[in-house]
Amino acid sequence: MEYYFGILQTLGFHVLLGYSAYILLLTGQLSLAQVGFFAIGAYASGILTVLFEWHIFPALFIGAIAAGCMAFMVGFPALRIKGLMLVIATIAFSEIVRLIFFNLRWRFEINGLEVGPDGAQGFREIRYFAANGWEIYEIVWLIWTMVAVATILLWWLDQIKAGAILRAIGSDELAAESSGINVTSVKIVAMACGGVIAGLSGGLYAHSTTYVDHNTFTVLLATFAVSYPLVGGLKSVFGTLAAVIFIQGILIEGLRFLGDYRTILFGALIILVMNFKPKGIVDENFVKGISEYLRLNKKLIK
Amino acid sequence: MVITSVDVIQSIIDGILYGSIYALIGVGFTLIFGAMQKLNMAYAASSIAGAYCGLGISAVLSLNLLVTFFLGPLVGGLIGILVYLVCFRFIPSREHLGSLMASIGALFLIDEIIVHETDGSPLNFPELGIFSEAYFLVGEFGFRGDLIFVLIVSLLAMTSIILMLYRTKYGLAARAVSQQMNAAILCGINPHKVNASTFFLAGVLGGLAGCLAAAAVGVISPLLILPLTIKGLIATVIGGLGSIKGAIIAGLLLGGFESLFLLVRGVNERDIYVFLLLFLFLVFKPNGMFGSIIDRD
Repeated sequence: MEYYFGILQTLGFHVLLGYSAYILLLTGQLSLAQVGFFAIGAYASGILTVLFEWHIFPALFIGAIAAGCMAFMVGFPALRIKGLMLVIATIAFSEIVRLIFFNLRWRFEINGLEVGPDGAQGFREIRYFAANGWEIYEIVWLIWTMVAVATILLWWLDQIKAGAILRAIGSDELAAESSGINVTSVKIVAMACGGVIAGLSGGLYAHSTTYVDHNTFTVLLATFAVSYPLVGGLKSVFGTLAAVIFIQGILIEGLRFLGDYRTILFGALIILVMNFKPKGIVDENFVKGISEYLRLNKKLIK
Repeated sequence: MVITSVDVIQSIIDGILYGSIYALIGVGFTLIFGAMQKLNMAYAASSIAGAYCGLGISAVLSLNLLVTFFLGPLVGGLIGILVYLVCFRFIPSREHLGSLMASIGALFLIDEIIVHETDGSPLNFPELGIFSEAYFLVGEFGFRGDLIFVLIVSLLAMTSIILMLYRTKYGLAARAVSQQMNAAILCGINPHKVNASTFFLAGVLGGLAGCLAAAAVGVISPLLILPLTIKGLIATVIGGLGSIKGAIIAGLLLGGFESLFLLVRGVNERDIYVFLLLFLFLVFKPNGMFGSIIDRD
């Protein structure tokens, strides 16, 4: 049972990470900085609960806000440039964050035990859940409540004007600009929202694994983050959810017997999807098909 | 440790010599960008893979070092064509994220295949024979023989690429396709063939860079891939996207800058400053040193 709860936790972080990339991809921008925000959230909330002995909820909140502020600040220089240049800039940003945490050493004694981030050794002892007697199902429940809230918010975004604005920029920036949308500020807001979601995900990740180090926050994880929405399709937020379950649940966990070959499959999967379904698996036709199917069923019931 | 001005200049010299590898990778990125206005993120990975294959083939057949330096670029070129076929040829260009994402997929595919085949452990790469022992002293400053070899080979390779682009029929066709694809098709040029040759040429350059990098470091390891990718991209951006001259100069300067910060701040923090340099350029000079004023993405 523990094993399945563990998988559920992993799926939770990855869904949130995928959402944080999704919201920026709606504006047509590919960002590999998500993993940097994830790392900031992880370290910030971990430091707050371990070194300052905060409660978990304010710590998660501050971690998410810190990542969001960072995203906002990075957004200013980075989103003036776009497309390919943004990809390069965000890779550099993620690596800067990773290297800063690689060099971060900030330890002092709390209750007779020296704790805190220890450079290349990583940040151990993030034991808030264990120290406060949380059961594993409670942790899973917390993570998936956050996922559910984020899913509902992103689904709701598509029902209101803000979602239409994001998609307008994504489909034609010039047209969006000439209909009076301030493209850059919308993108920066999208970046900041993505940063908040990624930071939240990072905080949850740090506390449920009890240990983070710089090796987690590589470009590979950033690629995972953007691949979920791209494989799943940008038509609906549920595409990202489905892609995470497919990639993390089936490809990575389900095919455990393949050993190392699974990571090879990940690269091949991206290439295949981009060649044959460049708009993702849950694309326009798929959504149309499902909604027609549902309508048909309703008619039959009547 | 007191850092004297001699140390500073010496480390900058070493860095600039090593930077010729970044310049080669940067020129490769630039060639592909110039041809298709797209980034091939798998480029450094295929370069290292080419070097691996060259090393592997010459180890199996017990050939000598010179053959490795011939086979590496050749295989690099072939992998380049393969990457073109799977990541660029069939993905419609209006899906502008498609090829980029596919090439990132290819980056990790190649990376994982190498890790899988070598169990992730680095292999020894033959050093450059007499060149690695040579050391020239000019006044107070020393020049490592192998790095001078690296610089000379890179400069020769880059010169021949530039000559090929501006003096041959292929070069004319490649520039025509990059300027106006439809007009080029009307002139009877097959753009896919031309693009495939550009990928092959870039791959050859990359394979050479991979061999040179491995020879200068002494080992070849998949850990070289990501730093080479990022630094090659930085050289491309700082030089100005699409400018070959810019990529060369930026690559050399990047090497010097990196080596300087290695001396001043140590190996753990060096790359932070190199990446911050990229941000400075993006904010204050997004078109790079030699880029034309472009507003495309």
